[in-house]
Amino acid sequence: MSEFFSTARAVAWRSLHITFTNPALLAPALIFPLMFYVAFAGGLSSVGNLPGFDYPAGYDTFQFGFVLLQASAFGGVFSGFGIAADFERGFARRYMLAAPRREAIIVGYLLGGLSRAAITTSLLTVVALATGMRPQSSPAEIAALIVLVAFVCSAAMLFACGVAMRLKTVQAGPAMQMPVFLVLFLAPVFVPLDLVAGWVHGVATVNPVTALMNGVRDLLAGTGFDAVLVFGTAIALAGGFALWALRGLRSAERTGS
Amino acid sequence: MSLAPPGIEVVDLQRTFKSLRAVDGISFAIEPGEIFGFLGPNGAGKSTTVLMLTTLLPPTGGRATVAGFDVASQGPDVRRHIGAALQEAALDPLLTGREHLRLQASLQGLGKPARDTRSAELLERVGLTEAADRRVGGYSGGMKRRLDLALALVHEPTILFLDEPTTGLDPQSRADLWEEVSRLAREQGVTVFLTTQYLEEADQLADRIAIISKGRIVAEGTPDALKGEIGRPSLEVVPAVAADRDRLAAVLGEFGAPTAGPPGAAAVRLEAGADGLAQVVRRLDAEGIALQTFDLHAPTLDDVYLAKTGERLTEAADDGAPVAGAAG
Repeated sequence: MSEFFSTARAVAWRSLHITFTNPALLAPALIFPLMFYVAFAGGLSSVGNLPGFDYPAGYDTFQFGFVLLQASAFGGVFSGFGIAADFERGFARRYMLAAPRREAIIVGYLLGGLSRAAITTSLLTVVALATGMRPQSSPAEIAALIVLVAFVCSAAMLFACGVAMRLKTVQAGPAMQMPVFLVLFLAPVFVPLDLVAGWVHGVATVNPVTALMNGVRDLLAGTGFDAVLVFGTAIALAGGFALWALRGLRSAERTGS
Repeated sequence: MSLAPPGIEVVDLQRTFKSLRAVDGISFAIEPGEIFGFLGPNGAGKSTTVLMLTTLLPPTGGRATVAGFDVASQGPDVRRHIGAALQEAALDPLLTGREHLRLQASLQGLGKPARDTRSAELLERVGLTEAADRRVGGYSGGMKRRLDLALALVHEPTILFLDEPTTGLDPQSRADLWEEVSRLAREQGVTVFLTTQYLEEADQLADRIAIISKGRIVAEGTPDALKGEIGRPSLEVVPAVAADRDRLAAVLGEFGAPTAGPPGAAAVRLEAGADGLAQVVRRLDAEGIALQTFDLHAPTLDDVYLAKTGERLTEAADDGAPVAGAAG
């Protein structure tokens, strides 16, 4: 078991080391969520005055919920880009050759992705708090929020990992990014679900990300949330994509890394 | 007879890419501590064989055990016992040499004290101590090869795979690497599986050689035994007047079977060996053919390759093409 974690730790260390010693890699990961938050929360703040907008913690907090989810999901997707680059440039071969237990490679990438997302979302939270976001969560709700965001990041990363290990090229980037982008934006991003109309409402109603987004916003507002639905969805997504990533690893093994 | 299990045992190993048989039923056994040269041109199946033996590519047929473990069903055990420096060094240009070694040591499960000690020791051994804290992106090709070799040795493997380790190296770096590989086998008993398309490398380093062509092993034995099979030396003669070449070839044909020679030359494998040389000279003199060069060659591994495949290894290497993403 220690062998497994040693491998996972090594993969995670490289992933973080590369990011944090290269400003060109670090800056976009930190800046993009902040820009989204500023654009959506600041630029669209009057949406909070619409009739029927009844979110108790205000529009900034409402938007923060979305940007937090988006930052964690895209943090996971960006880890997938790194995995694809490792396969394309041949570095993954070193992992595949050195790791007695190759599942540890996925765990390592996951730990690296989660750590990066933790830093990104922490910075986002600090900036949001400094600029007026006022969540009404209890400590327990904050803890639940952190766990939920970690699940979202894991699910996105494992999805992207499965794609990267099958296609083994950075050109697979859109195949990782687009589905996550679509499911995120086909949820109630700018207004609560009740205010969303037309076909988007229909799609958002069945979109599992809607449950996650509502869960994040409920936890931020301190109004209570449907734990079974929210965490059930998060666990199901992360579990399903863990299987997808494992099968991606087997595919990479079959076709040669 | 040795009681130890063979370092590597391969039986009827095959790898097919769609309709292409890159490795077509090869078999051989390598004893512990032996340097085994796997010689062949690009596209012959060398690297595909290495990928299978290092568990990076599953075989589509046959069986192979490495360090006593089956490559198809006991991959983790195989990987614990092997080190590999593959054709393209898998290095991260953003990491330093020392960081690579520490990363590799962690990947292999070494604890921190062992990681640091082993990293320093290997950097010293491959002559990279001074460059250890520089990013690998700035290393020369030779430095990258040396680092790759050091990385393959981090966990003290009992079996080492080197896939064309000296391709692109200058003569001094090549000689240094040969010395290190010899030392590993001689002093530490490491079994070395070395693929190469360089005859000299196989001749100098390998205890035994297998020659692979188009996915099949066409000859196997010690370099001396393989050259001994050819036995007779070859004579390559270039006429002073190019128009005399056909006449020259006809005369030489009286002394042995024609063989491939350099451009403009006529060449034969001398039936009577070097003893028949005087007769050849007299005969050419009698015919009045003036000569530009007259070279007698002892058999080489290239002659072995020619005898077994009908073409020179150097020519085949030029024609070779990577196979389905797995060169060699």
